[in-house]
Amino acid sequence: MKLLEYEAKQIFSKYGIPVPKGVLIRAPEEVAAHLPELGDAVVLKAQVDVGGRGKAGGVLMADDATAVETARELFSREIKGVPVRSILVEERLPIEHEYYVSIAVDRSSRQPVVLFADAGGVEIENAAMADESAVRRVVVSTLLRDIPAFLMRELLGGAPKELAPIINSLYHAFQEKDAMLAEINPLVTTPRGVYAADAKLIIDDNALARQGIAVNRDLSEREREAEKHGFSYVELDGTIGVIGNGAGLTMSTLDLIEYYHGQAANFLDVGGGADQERVMHAVRLVASMPGVNVIVVNLLGGITRCDEVAKGIIAADVLPTVIVRMAGTNEEEGQRLLAEHGYRMLESMDAAVRAAMEVAS
Amino acid sequence: MIYGDRNLGVIVQNITGRQGRFHTELMNDYAREVGGRGVVAGVAPGKGGQEVHGVPVYNTVKEALREHDATASVIFVPAPAACDSVMEAAHAGIDLAVVITEHIPVHDTMKAVAYAKLHDCTVIGPNCPGFLSPGECKLGIMPAHLATRGNVGVVSRSGTLTYEVVDELTRAGIGQSTVVGIGGDPVIGQTFVDALARFEDDPQTKAVVVIGEVGGNLEEEGVRSTDLPVVAYIAGVSAPPEKRMGHAGAIIEGGEGDARSKVRRLAALGVPVASRPSEIPGLIREVL
Repeated sequence: MKLLEYEAKQIFSKYGIPVPKGVLIRAPEEVAAHLPELGDAVVLKAQVDVGGRGKAGGVLMADDATAVETARELFSREIKGVPVRSILVEERLPIEHEYYVSIAVDRSSRQPVVLFADAGGVEIENAAMADESAVRRVVVSTLLRDIPAFLMRELLGGAPKELAPIINSLYHAFQEKDAMLAEINPLVTTPRGVYAADAKLIIDDNALARQGIAVNRDLSEREREAEKHGFSYVELDGTIGVIGNGAGLTMSTLDLIEYYHGQAANFLDVGGGADQERVMHAVRLVASMPGVNVIVVNLLGGITRCDEVAKGIIAADVLPTVIVRMAGTNEEEGQRLLAEHGYRMLESMDAAVRAAMEVAS
Repeated sequence: MIYGDRNLGVIVQNITGRQGRFHTELMNDYAREVGGRGVVAGVAPGKGGQEVHGVPVYNTVKEALREHDATASVIFVPAPAACDSVMEAAHAGIDLAVVITEHIPVHDTMKAVAYAKLHDCTVIGPNCPGFLSPGECKLGIMPAHLATRGNVGVVSRSGTLTYEVVDELTRAGIGQSTVVGIGGDPVIGQTFVDALARFEDDPQTKAVVVIGEVGGNLEEEGVRSTDLPVVAYIAGVSAPPEKRMGHAGAIIEGGEGDARSKVRRLAALGVPVASRPSEIPGLIREVL
């Protein structure tokens, strides 16, 4: 789950990383009360979870005379389609130089990787593409509490040494908050010291519980409903509903629909060992999506039993729109049940997807 | 054979849990069928002295290894404690840990994999179905009846998709040397590079099917690292960016790891890439 900037900054601040003075406001008038502590020059930043927020008009400059009006303007905007519900108002820093630092999970080395660039800011991706040496990277052993000094020297190159303790603190936050990504861009130097001018923190979904986070806000309502039943679920734009077991097989079913020039409406993996009840909820959930006129069920029984799946499909009772391919554990019993109730079954996923295409078109 | 043959002695951690119990029986059914040793002991803290399908249970891995000759462990421990179990196994001298558990926090996996490495313990998974060498041994949860013995290796990030491909291969008369699921998480013990290195050293394996998906670039790294003939299939060409397609690791991030660019890069390396699972047997015949 991706935290908003102000939440990430609160956490970074607890780890001793200096952040600009700032307040979160939910209405334009609130800004006035805070101006004395923030100073004459402020930055207003929409707290929306979209990339490229600055370029999309989500960050505005103001002074004490224009702050309320600017806040009103920002609250009235949609940033890449997302309405602005809260704004982080911060003091404007006297920036000398902008750096970039991020810590991520490196799949190849299976360890944390720290990236650092001498030129931070909005153009970092382009700079990195144009010149690979613009971004330095070091892999740290997760078994170490701190980034070793020799790696820190390699990372910083000629950049000021005063950045080192901040990067190390970021590493602590990354480790202890179960982060997939912890980023400061830009990390700025000012005459008063170093600050995290922006902050990004993505928490591992599998660690939300132990981090004390109850719900993943990144999910839509139907996605949350799906999660309640133990499904992996993603909504797409097409007309063909898809239910499968196992992420790979389900994704592969979606791809096959695209291969035959159709459009899948969703991805729904019922998970291992789904029983009658879970399958019923899955079929009903997908059938409830607007625009879905046919559902492909592609199941390979292992732990999952085909007869349970069949009972679930029958119990969902959305008959004309379901096309089934199932094989594996108890497939004969499952197929007998479905046949009794007049469901259409096909032997391969290719055949099932082709049949769904005919119904959809 | 890679990872082990019928002589492999296996323990199961959390053997008294629902999955541990169920799959211990299936693994041992398979071991009996092929004349292998199978699961010789189980571990469940606080439940030492019990038996599960005739297999004795111990409180710790160390205790189990004192009484039994085993070098591999299959881990069915729930996510919050799973990586502790990997470290316990590695510390006790286990050479190979197969982690079936899903939903393990990534930071736990990073620590467990690093710790296991210090003890020369190979980790397969987590969030994986394990491996099956037809006619020799099975560690994990793969449905063995779909597989037949042969000379094609299969290495995959996905469970059920692997069964689909194995079924296709078997029905096309193409047997498998070893089928290994390396797992769908962002951090996994055995990567494609590691598995392919083992296939390369395995005299039985003549070609390998690489089954990948969106997220990361481990497939390309693997294919670049091997001289074996490889056929690839990448799931998720229709996957939208920034959405997790079921697996924690199956996500297109920051414009990286999308299936189409993976397919392009693999094709540029001269690897035949199937556009659907049913094309895989035909492509394998061409490279064999």
